[in-house]
Amino acid sequence: MTVTPPKASSSDAPYLAALLRKVAQRDREAFSALYRATSAKLNGVAARIVQRGDASEIVQETFVRIWERAGDYDASRGSAIAWMATIARNRALDEVRRVRPSSIEDMPEGIEPADEFIDPLASRERSEEYIRLMSCLRKLEPERREMILLAYYRGATREALAQRYGAPVATIKTWLRRGLGQLRECLGS
Amino acid sequence: MTASPEDESLAAEYALGVLDAGERAVVSARRMREPQLDAAILAWEGRLAPLLELVPGIEPAPDLYDRIEARITDPAPSPVIDMTGPLRARLARWRAATMTTGAVAAALALAVVFQATHEPTTTHQFVAVLQKSADAPAFALTVDIDKREFTVRPVAATAPAGKSYELWMIEPKLAAPRSLGLLNTDGVRRDRKLGDTDAAVVMDATYAVTVEPEGGSPNGKPSGDPVFYGKLIPVGP
Repeated sequence: MTVTPPKASSSDAPYLAALLRKVAQRDREAFSALYRATSAKLNGVAARIVQRGDASEIVQETFVRIWERAGDYDASRGSAIAWMATIARNRALDEVRRVRPSSIEDMPEGIEPADEFIDPLASRERSEEYIRLMSCLRKLEPERREMILLAYYRGATREALAQRYGAPVATIKTWLRRGLGQLRECLGS
Repeated sequence: MTASPEDESLAAEYALGVLDAGERAVVSARRMREPQLDAAILAWEGRLAPLLELVPGIEPAPDLYDRIEARITDPAPSPVIDMTGPLRARLARWRAATMTTGAVAAALALAVVFQATHEPTTTHQFVAVLQKSADAPAFALTVDIDKREFTVRPVAATAPAGKSYELWMIEPKLAAPRSLGLLNTDGVRRDRKLGDTDAAVVMDATYAVTVEPEGGSPNGKPSGDPVFYGKLIPVGP
């Protein structure tokens, strides 16, 4: 009999953390269940960054790394899905920077940063951490907030942001650093 | 101890994802040796991770799980024998780093050494593929730690017109990137000297190639971001 586990959401945190602990002990069934529960999410995270490329290679590398490094997961630092998604994100960023290491990069078409705030499907399940982070992001100047979201969700480089906002790269760097500094202050950690 | 304000900003930029390939490679190398920088990056990843809650899932290809399972079922390559404790820990870190920079690079590196050259290898040899993408290796770098010698073999590099390729060793313990000289694209350069650099520095360094004016960097510093780079991995017997 095959039991299909639920898809990952913030309410599954204990379930996913338990799976990760089993994966750290080389439990293949747990690994398979973890894959079924999280692969769509990780693929979504990676696909937004690689955009026109294929994210499956990145998702593959991510799960191989999860298999080998599950023991490194520290529940006190955040949720299991955040740990896994961060691995996928870093792999995706390494990949797009390698493929397009030059300074000029097209900004993806059709991206409205405001979209990142409005996802009706996700509105029912938002963690306290998300609500807190969003309230801090809303305190930033709109342009700085947009830049941070474009960088985070889409892997925009400083150069791409400079093109989009018609400002020198050095200015973008300063704005980003200030925005991140304000964010840290607001989060108080 | 916490990271310096500059490293704190760098950690934030790394976690946000705005660094270019060269900067990312340097930060990735540094965080393995600098716990404060590593902690700052982890903290920033944690601060920003709630943003991922909203990302909608996309079902991956149906055969992806089989591909992953095949990868984790393959027996691991046998480790370099006779490793002392610290070296064993170092190997574990290399494996982790290799995972980060792509198993393709590792496979290419081994293929270059074992298949293309037929040269005998020892436990003291290390190899790096210098590349800008996993499918575009430019140079293969082989280092013999005991002899402090290195060999550079062009794989698919084409000479930049009117310019020179220069190889650099980048490591936090070195005050600045150290030039290892110019690279040919038309033949192997063997047994070049590394000098008396500390073995740990040699092994942990990022090796990067920049495009310089003909004859090399005029001021002893890289003139721009690396066009190819890589890190050493050990070559088993």
